[in-house]
Formats: sequence, C-alpha cells, structure tokens
Amino acid sequence: MTLSGAAIREIEQLRAKYPEPRGALIPALYVAEREFGWLNSAALESVANALALPSAVVRGTASFYHLYRHREMGKHLIQLCTNISCMILGAEGLEVVLREKYGLKPGGTTEDGRFSLIIMECIGVCDGAPAMLIDTDLYEDLSEEKLGEILASYE
Amino acid sequence: MLKRLLNNTDAPDSAEIDEYMRVGGYRALKVALDASPSDVVEEVKQSNLRGRGGAGFPTGRKWEFAVAAEGSPKYVVCNADEGEPGTFKDRVLMEKNPHLLIEGMVIASHAIGAEHGYIYLRREYPRALDRLERAIHDAYEHKILGDAVCGTSLRFHLEVFQGAGAYICGEETALIDSLEGRRGQPRTRPPYPVTAGLWGKPTVVNNVETLCNIPLILEIGGAAYAKIGTPSSPGPKLYCISGCVQKPGVYELPMGTTLRELIFDHAGGMRNGHRLKAVIPGGLSVPVVPADAIDCPMDFDSLSEIGSSLGSAGVIVMDETVCMVRVAHRAAHFYEVESCGKCVPCREGTGWLGKVLARILVGNAEPADLSLIDGIAGAIYGNTFCPLGDSAAEVVTSIVKHFRDEFAEHIEGGGCRAEVA
Amino acid sequence: MPRGSGMSDGVTTITMTIDGRELEVPEGTRVLRAARAAGISIPSLCDYELVEPFGACRMCLVEVEGMPRLQTACTLLPANGMTVITESEVLTKARRDVLELLLINHPLDCPFCDKSGECDLQHMVLKYGPTTGRYTEEKRLVPADHSDHLLARTMERCIACERCVRICDEVQGASALTMVGRGGDTRMEPFSPDAFDCEYCGNCLPACPVGAILSTLEMHNYRPWQIDREVETVCGHCGVGCRLVVQVRDESIARIASHPGLGFNRGLLCALGRFGHEYVGSEDRLSTPLIRREGDLEECSWEEAISFVAERLLRIREIHGGVAIAGVASPRCTNEDNYVFQKFLRVGCASNNIDSLSRLGFAAAQHYLESMLGSGITANQISSINGCDAILVVGGDPTAINPILGTTIRQAARHGARVGVLGHAPGLERFTAAEVVPEYVEEPAVLEALLVEVAAASELTDGAIDRKISAYVEEMRPSCPPPDGFVDLVDLLVTAAAPAIVLGPELVQRSDGYRALASVAGLTRVLGARLFLLAEGPNEQGLVDVGCVPDRLPGGVPVGDTSAGKKLAEMWRGSVPETPGLSLMELVEAAGRDVRALYVMGENPAFKLPNGSHVHGALSALELLVVQDIFLTETGLLADVVLPALAWSERDGTFTNIERRVQRTKRAVAPRFGRADWKIVCDLAAAMGHPMDYAGPDQILEELIQASPLYECLSHGSLDGDGWLVRRDLQPQELEFPTGPWIQAVRREGRNGVSLGIERSLFHSGTTSRHAPALRPICPEATAKLSSSLANELALRDGELVRLSTPQGSVTVPVQIDLSIRDRRVLLCNHYEGKGVLGLLDYTVDPVTKAPGLEACGVRIEKVEVEEA
Repeated sequence: MTLSGAAIREIEQLRAKYPEPRGALIPALYVAEREFGWLNSAALESVANALALPSAVVRGTASFYHLYRHREMGKHLIQLCTNISCMILGAEGLEVVLREKYGLKPGGTTEDGRFSLIIMECIGVCDGAPAMLIDTDLYEDLSEEKLGEILASYE
Repeated sequence: MLKRLLNNTDAPDSAEIDEYMRVGGYRALKVALDASPSDVVEEVKQSNLRGRGGAGFPTGRKWEFAVAAEGSPKYVVCNADEGEPGTFKDRVLMEKNPHLLIEGMVIASHAIGAEHGYIYLRREYPRALDRLERAIHDAYEHKILGDAVCGTSLRFHLEVFQGAGAYICGEETALIDSLEGRRGQPRTRPPYPVTAGLWGKPTVVNNVETLCNIPLILEIGGAAYAKIGTPSSPGPKLYCISGCVQKPGVYELPMGTTLRELIFDHAGGMRNGHRLKAVIPGGLSVPVVPADAIDCPMDFDSLSEIGSSLGSAGVIVMDETVCMVRVAHRAAHFYEVESCGKCVPCREGTGWLGKVLARILVGNAEPADLSLIDGIAGAIYGNTFCPLGDSAAEVVTSIVKHFRDEFAEHIEGGGCRAEVA
Repeated sequence: MPRGSGMSDGVTTITMTIDGRELEVPEGTRVLRAARAAGISIPSLCDYELVEPFGACRMCLVEVEGMPRLQTACTLLPANGMTVITESEVLTKARRDVLELLLINHPLDCPFCDKSGECDLQHMVLKYGPTTGRYTEEKRLVPADHSDHLLARTMERCIACERCVRICDEVQGASALTMVGRGGDTRMEPFSPDAFDCEYCGNCLPACPVGAILSTLEMHNYRPWQIDREVETVCGHCGVGCRLVVQVRDESIARIASHPGLGFNRGLLCALGRFGHEYVGSEDRLSTPLIRREGDLEECSWEEAISFVAERLLRIREIHGGVAIAGVASPRCTNEDNYVFQKFLRVGCASNNIDSLSRLGFAAAQHYLESMLGSGITANQISSINGCDAILVVGGDPTAINPILGTTIRQAARHGARVGVLGHAPGLERFTAAEVVPEYVEEPAVLEALLVEVAAASELTDGAIDRKISAYVEEMRPSCPPPDGFVDLVDLLVTAAAPAIVLGPELVQRSDGYRALASVAGLTRVLGARLFLLAEGPNEQGLVDVGCVPDRLPGGVPVGDTSAGKKLAEMWRGSVPETPGLSLMELVEAAGRDVRALYVMGENPAFKLPNGSHVHGALSALELLVVQDIFLTETGLLADVVLPALAWSERDGTFTNIERRVQRTKRAVAPRFGRADWKIVCDLAAAMGHPMDYAGPDQILEELIQASPLYECLSHGSLDGDGWLVRRDLQPQELEFPTGPWIQAVRREGRNGVSLGIERSLFHSGTTSRHAPALRPICPEATAKLSSSLANELALRDGELVRLSTPQGSVTVPVQIDLSIRDRRVLLCNHYEGKGVLGLLDYTVDPVTKAPGLEACGVRIEKVEVEEA
C-alpha cells in the first residue's frame, strides 16, 4: 500500500510551509496514519519518501510520541485520563469496568474491533474529572453508568 | 474581581471575533501598532510580567533578548502544550477567548519583529483546535493576520501546529525540536531560543496565559499592570482547581490569593464534608504541601518559601479518602511515561521509583524501601538534564516526607486498604 | 573584550581554573574538552570528540564555584574567572549514583562481552563504584539482534548515550540509526531490515562505549588485551588514504581499528577500509609463480619464472627494440614499487611505454589540469572542504569513490555549505541544494554554459589570464536551453565566498573530456575554487608523481628534458629513452604488433578496460604477458608468467593521496608467500643484467627523493604522523584553453535512447573486495540499476533477469529499480566476475587526455526467462 495522490499532495503542501522538509514530519505522520490506519512500516516509509527524509529519522520521531497509532487499533479510540485529579475521583474504577465489562486492557482492542483503549496522562479537563476523549469527543464527570451509555452510543 | 483574561467568557459566543471586538478586543493591538516595537517591549518590561508557564521568567527581558539577537527571520511561538497534570487554564483561554491569544501574539510579533508565529497545541485539545483555527481564519479575514496587519506594513502569519503526545514538549527547547520534526528532547543551553531557537533563528516562546496578559498591559499600561497582584509577581492570575472540591474550575484572581481563599471561598470548599488532607499547588511538577500550609499566598515567591512552587497554578486538592501512596505511585508513573529518555538519572530513576512504590502499594515492600526511595530520588535530583527529573524526585519525596506514616502502614500492613474509587 | 580574556593565534581565550590549575582555554570550547586538552580527564560516557556535546550521561558533572547545582562539563561554556572542581566527594557520589542507575538494567555480562577490557562503563564502575546494587526488580528486556552479517546489536548493554546515532547522523550523514521509543523504553534501532540506510562504515563501532554494537568479524574470537600488536598505517583502498590501526593477532589481521581523531580523517573509516581486509588472509592468494606450459598455467619456481621472463624480454628488446616492451603500473602499489617499475622499464627495457589504469580518470585529468593551472592545483586538503560555502560536484559520486571526502562534503552541507551536483551523486541526494542532471553526453556543454554564466557574473580583470578566459567564453555557443536546476547552480557558484569543485572520473572518461576539463579549469580560476580530483586507487597521485606515465619522468619532468634525463641516466646507470611512450589505450591498440611484451604489475586490464573482447584479443596476441598480482585475475589467466606479490598490509612503503600527501604504509603482518613488487622487479632486472639493488623501501625512497624535484624537501622524518604534503607550486600563467576543431561527444545510444553507465559501489572495489567475504553480502551480486520510469517503460520489475547486450558482449543480471536514477541510463558495476560493465562499453580515445571515452554507449535490454538463464 502507498499514499494516495491526495495524501501526497497534502504532504507536499505541508512541506512547502516549513524552511526544511523535516518541519512537516509531525503533521505528515498524521496524514499517513489516516491513510494507513496506523503507523506501520509502510506508512513510515511512505512519509520518508514523500519528505525525502531518512527512514530512521521518521521512525525515531514517530516512536517518541504516544498519540500516534503505533499499532492497529479499533474503530474508536478511548483515551481515558487516569492522572491524579481523575484518579482520585474514580478513573481507576472506570479502567476496571473497561477491563472487566468490555475486555479492554490499556493498549488493547475489543474483540469486535469497536474500541481501543489508551491510558492518558492528564488531558487537561481536571475540572470535569474523571474525563476521557473518544476520538475527538470529550466526555466529563464520568461514572460507571455514564461510561456505559456513552460507549453504547458508538457503533 | 474584575475578569480580564476571562473577560466575557461566560457569554456563549465569547470566542467569536465580533463578540470579542464588541467588548473591546483588538483595541490593545491598535495601541501597540501606534507605538514603536521598542516602546512595546519597554511597556512589557515595566509591567514586570513573569511567564505563566511555570518558570516565572520576566517576559519583557525575554523579548528584549530576542530583539537584540542577530538573525532573521525571528519567530514567536506560543507554548500551548499544557500537559502539566492539574492544569487546564490555557485550554479554557483558547476555547473561550482565542482572540485574546491571537492579539497577544500579534503584539509580540510587532515587538520582536517576527513574521511567523506558531501555536504549538497539544493533541489532547481537539476543541481548542477548532476554536483556534476558526479564530485564526476570522483574524485573517479581518486583516488582523496576514501581509498587512490592520492596514500597516506589519506582516504576521500564524498557524496551529499540533503536537503528538509528549509532556516534555512543554519544555521550550523540546517544543522547538518537536516543531522541527524531531524527537522532542530538551536542547543544550546555551544557545537559548531567544538567540538560536526554531530553525536556529531567534525565537520567543511564551505560554498561552503569558501572551493573553499582553493586550491588558498595552491597554492599561505597564505601570498600572504592575500594581495588580503582588509587587514581585504582578498581574491577574488564572488558578485551576480540581480534585476533592465542590466547584472545580479556572478562577481569575490577583496573584497572591491564598490556597485557603481559593479552596474555601472560590471553589466552594471540600466536597461532601470531607477534610482537607493535602494540596498539590502548582501542577504535578511541584512538591505536595500538607493541609496546614494552606494560608500560603499563591505567588512565585511565597510558595518557594514553604518548599513548593507556583508552577502552573494547577491546584489539586485531596481529602482524607485519598491514599497518598497511590498518589505517589501515580505521580512516579507519570514521570516514567513522560521522561524523554535522554539523560540517565531521569530515564532509569523514574522507572525504578515507580517499581518500588508499586511494591509498597501491593504490600511487597520492606522498611528499608523508604530510604531506598530517598536514595533513588537523591540520585535523580540535581543530576538531570532538565527539570523533569527534579520534579519527579521532589514530588515523590515530598509525599513520603509529609505522609511517612501512611507509607509505613502500607509496608507493615501488607499494602493498600483504600478501595479503588 | 572582557577582563582576563586574551588572544592566542587569533582565538579569544578565557582564563579559568580547573582543579586549582589556571588554564587559558579558547572561548566557546566546552569545559570537558578544554580540560582534556590540558590533560585533565573528566569522566564521560556520552561525549565523543567527533560529535556535538550532548549532556546525557551526567558522568561529567563538576562543581563550579558560585553555581548551586552541579554542571555537566561537556555542555558547560567556560567564563573568565570560572573555577571548576572535577573530583570531590560530592562528585564521586553523583557519579556513583549515575552508574548505579545505568547498571540497574545492564545485563552485567562482562565475562561474555567482547567489549570487556575496553569498555568505558567497566572502567568507570571500577573507578567510581558502586560495588553492589540495590535494584531487585526485573531488568528491562531488549531483544538482541544478530541478524546483520556485520553489525551485531546487543541492546541490553546499550546505555543510550546516542554516540552511534549521533556519529551516523552528524558525521557520516547516513542517518541509518535512531533512538526509538521514549523514557525507559528508549533504545537504538535501525529502522527496519528492508529499509536500512546503513553504509557499513562501522564508525559506530568505536563510538559505542559499551558492548552494544560489535562487529561480527571479531565476535567471540579474542579479547582486546589478546592483541599481539597494533600498527598505525594507511588504508589501501582509495585515494583518500585514511590513517588507521591494524590490530594483529597470530600474524593475521584481527581488526581494523581507528582511534577517534587519528589522522586527517579523524579516525573515520568507510566500509572497505574497516571491513574489507580479509582478502589479505584469503586462501585464494597466489602462493607460487605460475608459468604457461602447453597452454596451461602451472606452478614453477621463482628462479624459473624470473629467468624465463628475463630471457624473453631480452630477446624482444634485442629483436624489436625497447619500444616493443610496455608496462602497466598500479595505483595499488606503493611509490617505491612504481618507481622501481618505471625505472626498470625505462633503463632495463629501454622503453617509455608505461602507463596505468589511472589513465581512465585521475592521471589523465590531473596532468591536463596541472598543465593549465599549475602544479599542485588539485593538491588541496580534504579537511578544507569544511570551510567551503559552496561545493560543485561533477563526474561521479564522491561518497562512493572517496567515501571520507564524500562524508566531509555532507558535514560541510550540514554546517551550511550549499552543494551543487552535475550528474549523478546519489550519496549526496539529501545534501544537495542544486542539481542538474543533463543527458550524459551534454555534461561538458552544461559545464561550458556554467563557465559562461560564472564569467559573466564575475569581475574579470584585464590580466592575461582573464583575457584568455574571456576569449574562450566568447567562443562558447550554449547549444541547448538551460536544463532544470541550472539557474540554482549558477547562483550557488556566483554567491560563494569559498567554493570548491570536486571532480570525478566520469567527466574524464569521454572522448571530449578535455573540453569538460577546460571548463572546470576556467571555473576553478574564475571562482578561485579549491579543486579536488577523485581517485579510485590509493596511490594514483603517487603513480603519476614517480613517473608511471609515458611522457613524464619522476617529479613530472617531461620525457626528453635533456638535463633531467642526464641526471637520471647517471643515477640509474643507464640511458633514458628520449621519446614519450604509448599511453594505455595506445598500448592496447599496439599489442601484438608494435608492442610484443606487456608487463602488468598489480593490475587487471582484461577486466577493467572497455571493450573487453577487444582487450582480451589484444592481450592474447602478445608474445609475452607477465602479470604480477596477489590473486589470479582475468589478466593473470591470459599471462605467460604469473608472479605472486605482497598485499597491502604485508609491505612497507609510501602512498600519495589525492591531497598529494605522502604517507607511510606499513607492514603489519608477515607475508605467507609472494615477494614485494619492487623486489620482483629488481630480481628481474638483475637477471637481465641490469642490477637494481635496494636493501628495502626506505632506500628506494631515498633514491626517489634524489630523482624527483617534487620531493626536494622530503625526508624520512617528515613522513611521521599525518605524512608530508607536497608543496604547491602554482603557475597559472600557463592557462591555455583548447582550440578547435572541437571533438564532439560520441553518441552510441541504443534503441529508445537507453545507454549503459558505470555504477560505482561504496562496498566494492573489484579484485580485493571479491575476496573480502565481509563485504559481499552487502550487495551480493551485480544488478542492472535503472529508474522506475524506465523500468515501467520497458515493463521490467525488480529482480527480473535481463540480458544487457552491446556490440562488445552481453551479461545477464537481475533488474534493480533505483530511485536515485533520473535519466535514461542503465547502471552496472564492474566488480563481479564475468559481469563487469567496462567490458561491454565501446570507447573512443580523448585526443588530449588519452583517456578512453565511454559516453553514451547504447545497450539492448531483454527480459530473460529463468530457465534460459
């Protein structure tokens, strides 16, 4: 698999914005992630080619950042915050629910491929703790019941 | 108190440019553009504004260095990588008052002679991204950004650059590395970013809240601004409060408000009649203070005096139900995950701290492990490349110091008895 | 200037105190390196003198008066009056703490680790402790990777100092290594096995302070302290002549090592230099003389071989005269060997018919450029490229031909120099600011157009030289519209303050090569550029300088110069023929007719000359072919007598590199068989009644110093260390541009305009690398490299077998699509037996440089079914 023409054009536009091609690397990785589903070797290699960067540079940079998808993931990504404010208001319990009810371990994916879970460090919604993001949707003041309702609303 | 940074943010459309202008937005920019760049820098110096990102460096001096630095182009970078646990003020500013930030950045670009600016925004803030992109689009439409800012010869182009999940990129040199497509690790200093930053060019990196103070300074003048708050830490301040309080949120108060006022007057006191046990006053990178320290004013100097720090002013309040061993363990885990891995003490030490704390938590520890924690923290503290390692050591040792008995109980009693909430 | 600062050699210095010693240190030098220069050693694991300071390991923490925190000496900038303490109780504790943290995840497998004994971590733990550890949890597991045939990674030992990553990126410019992951999961990785940009320079090996990266060649063989001796010598692979260290064990090469900073190459080596030494100990080495009896080569004694050759040479000289005898010298042999060889031919055989395969590049270009711009015009130090702000590369890829020069260009680019490439230089791809890829035959025309533009943009004076340039430029009629990138290339050159021009052999190997060289000379002159001429062999400059050319005697003195001839005749006790001899391709043409005997020393013309079948026929038509070599080559197989010689590390002597730096190459291991090249020649001379007795190479060098005006100031002592640089004696008044009638490039395109070109590999150099098993797996076979668009057009896929045919012959090789190729050429290397590109190319000799022109040789490409192959 390779990047689509549209994605290559998008990366070229990104590249033109910075004094060096490397400046476009972090946004270009998002483009490749969107195209390939996750940053597999082919995705990384395609970015290296599109930006004429050494493969090692692309891989080194990508692997440093935790919010890229470094493995195949489910349809929706649950990003559960468990840092202090969320933890003391119940995030650990939510983690247990996700594990026991949905079979979702941190870094794992549900059997039906609907959800993947990653444990977040602070997502900056401490006033709505415990909180999580599903994809780019924010959910605050979570409880066990609320979590169930929210997950049910995703196909 | 009069809200300046959060002015009008209760209005549903506070983020819209028309609404922002209706309540006086972009007036300060006009004032700045009528003044010379050096006058703007002088005004900011007079204001005695100190950076709101955590280190408290005087903003005016930072700008002055960048003006004096040789090299072009120069860059203005907004540090919107608000990763400090317990901190969410910048998110609120960007979501509710994005034009205030843009106005601050345009003024900064005029002051230092930059034509390009970046807002390095953390990936975790999708809503802030939407608001900022819309605001930037509208600012271009209104000729506040672009090749002729407000009809003058000033050029300023601004864009949002999304991070990809790394706390360390809140450190300004790591942020610059990340903007350049690298692994975001702190750089050797000198050179400082003001002389050789983004792409090796003079670069001012300011926090969101810092930049949001700039329009106010231009509007009321540096001297008047300096009278707000305390003399050594002037200006309005956004305090974030979360944890076991009735009304968590962001509060704009003068510098020097005490923790007690913040928790009990503004945040509605402790939830459900619980007792205060401990406070993290400035985000997870500052030492924990016990309940009896809450009369301390929240400013840069007073908190230092009691062995903690204002940090990001992210106040996390804990009551008696909270297990402090668990807090220490979670804090150590945070540092282990977020260590960039460059220097030895932080890379190896944070993980080891976490492992020992995990053993205490599950009741698989010995009394000597408490001194081992101090030993590991001592091996980290003062020996790391950047302050992240110091923070890890300080936070953990402050918890052990103030709540030593709780740790001893865990060790003797076979682990944690607090239920998972 | 601040108080206390001073100036020394134009550098501002700072006065500071380290451990009570007041030191004057250059401003901007970080404290650790300033201290080291003053003999004060501060422990460090991540600092490495070839790369930027890093500050990661925290071992170099020092106390600084007035600073509350400990500082890392590797990143600390000195200030006037700064007082630093490098050893104290506080520091010992800090270092012990750091080491304890480093060891918690270290496997502590020293008894098993090959680094043991030369491991920095081990040394430091020995000095600072700890002696016990408090870590009781499980150690981090990082899988070892021993799948690569040369570089074994045992990542549990890695301390993440990133020295390997940094040298690969900052210095080598390959960027094949990276740190991946974050925090405690940080580890070094090559990207992936199939997308691995490794250039196998092995510069990461000495950079690794622990046993994390080791060479499989030495793994589990011996311990560092079991080395018998170390010999510092010069690499024998290319014209750069890197200094290196041969470690010897049991009279064989155990390892090629390099110490950071050693020599002008600063301890850096390339794949060939570091890993390409196994041929010396190869079982395939020629061990005894061979003589042809009834059509077959059979073993014989030295006496028989020598007397046979002597007798035949004497007879041919007697019947046909000295002009019927010719010699081919070798850029792989030392100055001493080559000097003796040309002396033997000139006075022993009475022939000036002496040349070498350097005629295909270096020797042809060097002579022509010197005749235009003065002696020493190409004698520039490679390190000076670092000070250049614009570098024009033409005629080949320096990173493949002269790797260390190539990496120096990359380093210069990294520090802001703009690199312009005319032609194909894939190794510089990521470092190129301007690139022009004209049709290969058009390269001289593009250079002429460049000269026109650069001359127009420069302020030419009324001086004689500038008038010549103006007049030459006047004659130019740019024939084609400027190709893509041309404007950038012009801009790059005319805005440069310190330009360099790097010239490779492809610009010489063309029938109109002299026109390209004339333009290069003009550009060099107008721009005031430093000129570098790439050379494939280690002693191409030396070969020229000691007189292994048909028209010049040692020191570049023209043949026929009566006073020099007289002086040499006295010294050599024999007369020197006064008419120039035949050049290389003329020798080939005359073989079997005017030339009856050919004596080839350390060279393989049957494989390395164009039009292989023609050359084969010419060599077969000789009455006598003598080949002296370390392996039985394609040429040896045609010979009447084959004489086993010594290999690079078995003999003493000198090499002269492309900077015209004369350096000692030393015997490191005792030869098992064979005789030194000079010795064989002397034995033969004696048998022919013209004794040439030398006690050894030193005595030959003494005579050479007497014989060559170039070496007037050379003494044995001056060859120590980094060797001796021949003095430049530029007399640019001689600049004479060629005049018409102009030779036109020969177009021999095949169908569809597809032509065949030479691929130069970083990993192979022909004969020696064929017998270096470490290098073979890197690119195990010859391939036909072509662009993806040409592959599409011809419906060829990667790996498919094709037959490449020219009127000179054909080979069958797999296709390899190469993204760096952008023109309509198919590239093939000249390293693999029976699959060389040179034999397939036709040639037309350049009338001025006498180099064979190989431009635009048409080729037919046909897909071959596997069964057929």
